[in-house]
Amino acid sequence: MTTRPLMIGAVAYTPNVVPIWEGIRDYFVDGPAQMDFVLYSNYGRQVEALLDGYIDIAWNTNLAWVRTVLRTDGACRALAMRDTDLTFSTVFVTRPGSGLRDITDLKGRRLALGSRDSAQAAILPVHFLREAGLGESDVELLRIDTDLGKHGDTGRSELDAIRAVLDDRADAAALGITTWEAIGRDELMPGALEQFWQSPTYCHCNFTALDTLPAERTDPWVEHLLAMDWDNPDHRRILELEGLRRWKRPDLAGYASLFEAVKQQEIAARW
Amino acid sequence: MVSTVVLDLVERIGAVSVGTIVEVPLQPGEADTVAAWCARSGNELVSATEDRAVVRRGRPATEAFFYDVPPEQRPGARLWLYTNFDCNLACDCCCARSSPKAPRRAIGVDRICRLVAEAADAGVREVFLTGGEPFLLPDLDVVVHTCVDRLPTTLLTNGMLFRGTRLAMLRRMPRDGFTLQISLDSATADMHDRHRGAGTWQRAIDGIGIARAEGFRVRVAATVAPHEANTDAQAAFHQKLDGMGIRREDQVVRPVAQRGFATDGLALTVDTLLPEVTVTADGIYWHPVGADHDDQLVTHELFPLRTAIDEVQRRFTEYRLTAAVGAQRFPCA
Ligand code: SF4
Repeated sequence: MTTRPLMIGAVAYTPNVVPIWEGIRDYFVDGPAQMDFVLYSNYGRQVEALLDGYIDIAWNTNLAWVRTVLRTDGACRALAMRDTDLTFSTVFVTRPGSGLRDITDLKGRRLALGSRDSAQAAILPVHFLREAGLGESDVELLRIDTDLGKHGDTGRSELDAIRAVLDDRADAAALGITTWEAIGRDELMPGALEQFWQSPTYCHCNFTALDTLPAERTDPWVEHLLAMDWDNPDHRRILELEGLRRWKRPDLAGYASLFEAVKQQEIAARW
Repeated sequence: MVSTVVLDLVERIGAVSVGTIVEVPLQPGEADTVAAWCARSGNELVSATEDRAVVRRGRPATEAFFYDVPPEQRPGARLWLYTNFDCNLACDCCCARSSPKAPRRAIGVDRICRLVAEAADAGVREVFLTGGEPFLLPDLDVVVHTCVDRLPTTLLTNGMLFRGTRLAMLRRMPRDGFTLQISLDSATADMHDRHRGAGTWQRAIDGIGIARAEGFRVRVAATVAPHEANTDAQAAFHQKLDGMGIRREDQVVRPVAQRGFATDGLALTVDTLLPEVTVTADGIYWHPVGADHDDQLVTHELFPLRTAIDEVQRRFTEYRLTAAVGAQRFPCA
């Protein structure tokens, strides 16, 4: 009997998602567990599809993972993530000379946030402010809600947050580390921006499956995924596109801060 | 005013798929920033004028040429070592101009040891030992062990010297990770003997039998002149080898290269030949068929090997970029 390929869901936040998933699917063709993929236009739709059994595994952002856990009372598991997902962080940036040197200096200042469903550029920054003793009334928040439903995956709202700082509509912006890297940190726009605070690391995306999907189906798939090798140029092409060097087993402790933030900010488990 | 061209680049490139071109307007002085961003982010700066930059998402096309070649054939995947140039035969098709009178020009065990270690670190996947006739070397078994310890290795031989101390040397060679490639040009003696000398076909057949009886994996490779190539002869050749128990994937038929002693044959030039890094005692060459020819010399410096591999890969992508034709693969193994 031939086993049906595992169906993986992913969100099509750029056209580049297509070659990435075609590459991953092709990598699995000769492997022990075949797969195919389905693209969704937003994470809400994807998580519903996972819960309804239309897909076996979802490539989820951290917020989609938290919501899946909440919706299933924990009857789901994270299978794997990128090395870069294990050490994600948020940076706060400002114009040089703004007088901001630490997160606590934001009291009474304006902070530009990305889309309200972006963990790295909105939900966790508010959480980090609270941890630093700053409530929402202490900091003037400028929310830039571009590309809602993509959980900040496009980075567009973060770029708009930076523009807000450069246009003096905000004193600082909260960004995911990947956006900060993508613009070349402070090296390509000398004198324009500087980082004044970086959060503790947390986890970002993972492959999520419900507990109803047996381990016999997921284990060979995960093993083959983890075997992708940066030194193999064919694999590297896919890994580079997806922004990692190695697939890793998940570290669930890395989601603790987001669970707490979602609870405190009373973010709904449903979209 | 602060330049925001980097923000525009990230946004516009992020919204398209690999291979797609985007244009961004430039303010004076921003072209260098765009070039620096492209280099850092792995995207290709196609052009930059005073007021606009054109950027293609993804690595430059030169790297795509490299990745378009199957992994095991990519420049740098195979390393050829000319252990020596002297030979017990003087075949008229020999691309290395080998003969009993050719100076030995051996690389030597010490340098081979260093080359293979550096090769493994540089991503080489497979080593091929060739000559001349490697079995003329008294320490060939040490050379083979040195290579097999690091990488899968194939040894090319005419298979005619498996007697006495050389047979003892053969027996000391490893069976795992090691293949003997023996030259046999035809199913019957006539064609083989015409190019390599009377009686050589039978001795090669005997050599194949000895090597197989000793438990070695044996690949058999024929070198065929264009005017002698015909499908009947090829079918007979495969039938003969099938009968000897040689697997089909271990039966190789190659054209004669127009190199060395060969006057007839396939013309091969560096810009049309898919490179396979080749080391001799005198330097590093583009491909094993050109290992005695200055036009295929890459460098006289054997070390560090990675420098030569990098140079071969660089030249390969450069030729591919300028040539409308794809490089030919000339299989020696
Ligand atoms: S073709 Fe091989 S066997 Fe013949 S002379 Fe050259 S090295 Fe020797």
